[in-house]
Amino acid sequence: METGLIGILTALLAASVRMATPLTLAGLGETFSEKSGILNIGLEGIMLSGAFFSFISAYYTQSILLGLLGGCLGGVFISMIHGYLSVRLNVDQTIAGLALNFLALGLTSFFFLMAFGRTTDLPECPVVHQIAIPFLSDIPIIGPAFFNQDPFVYLTFLLVALCYVVLHRTEWGINIQATGEHPRAADAAGISVSGTRYRAAMLNGVFGGLGGSYLTLAMLGFFMENITSGKGYIALVVVILGRRHPVGVLMAAILVGAAEALQFRMQTMGFGIPSQVFNMFPYVITVLVLLFSIGKNRTPAALGEPYIRNNR
Amino acid sequence: MKIIRELGSLILIACITALVGTVLVLAVGADAGKAFDAFFSGIMGSFYSFTEVLVRATPLILAGLGVAVAFQARFFNIGAEGQLYMGAIGATWAGLYLPAMPLFLHLGVAMMAGFLLGGFWAMIPGFLKSQYRIPEVINTIMFNYIAINIVGILVRTLMANKTSPLPMSPRLPDELHLPFLADPTRLHAGLLVALVSAVLVYLFLYKTTWGFELRAVGNNPRASSCSGISVKKTIVISSLISGGLAGLAGGSEILGVHGRLMEGISPEFGYIAIIVALLGRNHPLGVVLAGVGIAALQIGATTMQRRAGVPASISLIIMGLLVILILGRQYWIKSRST
Repeated sequence: METGLIGILTALLAASVRMATPLTLAGLGETFSEKSGILNIGLEGIMLSGAFFSFISAYYTQSILLGLLGGCLGGVFISMIHGYLSVRLNVDQTIAGLALNFLALGLTSFFFLMAFGRTTDLPECPVVHQIAIPFLSDIPIIGPAFFNQDPFVYLTFLLVALCYVVLHRTEWGINIQATGEHPRAADAAGISVSGTRYRAAMLNGVFGGLGGSYLTLAMLGFFMENITSGKGYIALVVVILGRRHPVGVLMAAILVGAAEALQFRMQTMGFGIPSQVFNMFPYVITVLVLLFSIGKNRTPAALGEPYIRNNR
Repeated sequence: MKIIRELGSLILIACITALVGTVLVLAVGADAGKAFDAFFSGIMGSFYSFTEVLVRATPLILAGLGVAVAFQARFFNIGAEGQLYMGAIGATWAGLYLPAMPLFLHLGVAMMAGFLLGGFWAMIPGFLKSQYRIPEVINTIMFNYIAINIVGILVRTLMANKTSPLPMSPRLPDELHLPFLADPTRLHAGLLVALVSAVLVYLFLYKTTWGFELRAVGNNPRASSCSGISVKKTIVISSLISGGLAGLAGGSEILGVHGRLMEGISPEFGYIAIIVALLGRNHPLGVVLAGVGIAALQIGATTMQRRAGVPASISLIIMGLLVILILGRQYWIKSRST
């Protein structure tokens, strides 16, 4: 074990990457959703549902893979309700998302208490372990952070690349962007607006569910009420900081993760600065980013707008 | 026909939520009779329990009114939570640090400070939206978290109670408390503030030119602009009033319930207020009814947990479901009536 500055830096970077993983996963999903024109504030609910169902299926089957599947389905369950409400029923997407956050928090807390009662020793589920990649993990500082992590982290890097290719290099990705920028034009060009948005919502559920699963299947190994405690909202922050670009989302998530990791470190070292100062950073930076993006508007033009086909 | 359909759909929604509630109660294996008995006795089993509902309803009504005003101008204020906390800071500050003055004046000034700070907190995103078209939904959520962290910092530094290691401000002077309305219950004059605010908001929205302009901007900003209404100014004013009302909710919680500033004084009042505004259809009277209704749901659920072992999170499920059904209902009515 190395000590001194290098040791601290190494540990800090590794922790940042771990903290960034669930945020990146959920952020990727939300990127698809927002690019297609659906602003889903219900990301918190998606992650929470993913965390709950991944825990439940991993607990009862003792299988990580089935746990993952459960997590994805749990996320999709919430995101598809949101998709249906926003695409088919054209309701206010923000309020629908907010309602789903309440619903997911209620359902997961309720069923968790129902299944396990009020216990002090929390039931545990199997967790994934770190896999060191030979040679690469020996690189100083960045080696342990990027190449000695659990499979989730590697999967996340892979998905970032994949999402970039899909969003920017395939026809389907361009269709998603067209749907979010100008649904009527997309419709006229023969793209199914509702179909595209449903698929984006589905992806949002899968990714958000994976992000939630990371909390239970990799970070903690157990579930508790409101386990996400606002991570879904931070993932929304990450999407804006990352300018709705997969690589940007990853970078933003690592930045936010670093702030979080730094704050833990500061707390244990006993600095006199309240940890809230660091907690506040990501939010303040987001406001500043919104402020500085005045004029060069990168927001999808039809974000949050229902598309009603026969209206003019 | 439309009225019948509206009423019918409301009854249907009530039935669905009641059914889901019953199924959930049965699912945990609780005695249904006992559970419902607990639920209703929690709400109006005694005079005391009913006043508890009203105490809980007070911040919900105030913040709900705020959200409703903003929504009427189509300013989607998701930031009532943060505005409430800023209001709490304002009221505490005025209570602790302003020089001595007559009691009622001091209370009024403290509430006013809550209104102003809450309004200021909403006005920033309001200004950014009206001037630079920065979307307010994400911005107001960010302002929530910033406000909550500011409270966390203040109670540990500038406004910390030096005699206690706990993160909270010093206690306000005992006499600096909103008058109790019905000793020995906790019911305080914040409820009157909420009801008076509802009346004022009604008069403002429906009986003044400003209110008319605000609703016009909400209905059709372009047409309003064409007929000479300043859309930008209207949005800023609506955000100021909206945040101010949420700030009053924070002030009333400080001066009527807690007596000091600390973290977690709002169990998501600001978010629930959005549900209250939606259920109340952004109308002051509706908001008052919805505020009392949601408060009753929460108090009833807590009693049900205590006496019949049904998790109180059932109230969150009901709330979420209710909103989704109400949202869906609007589509259903619209698509059938055209």
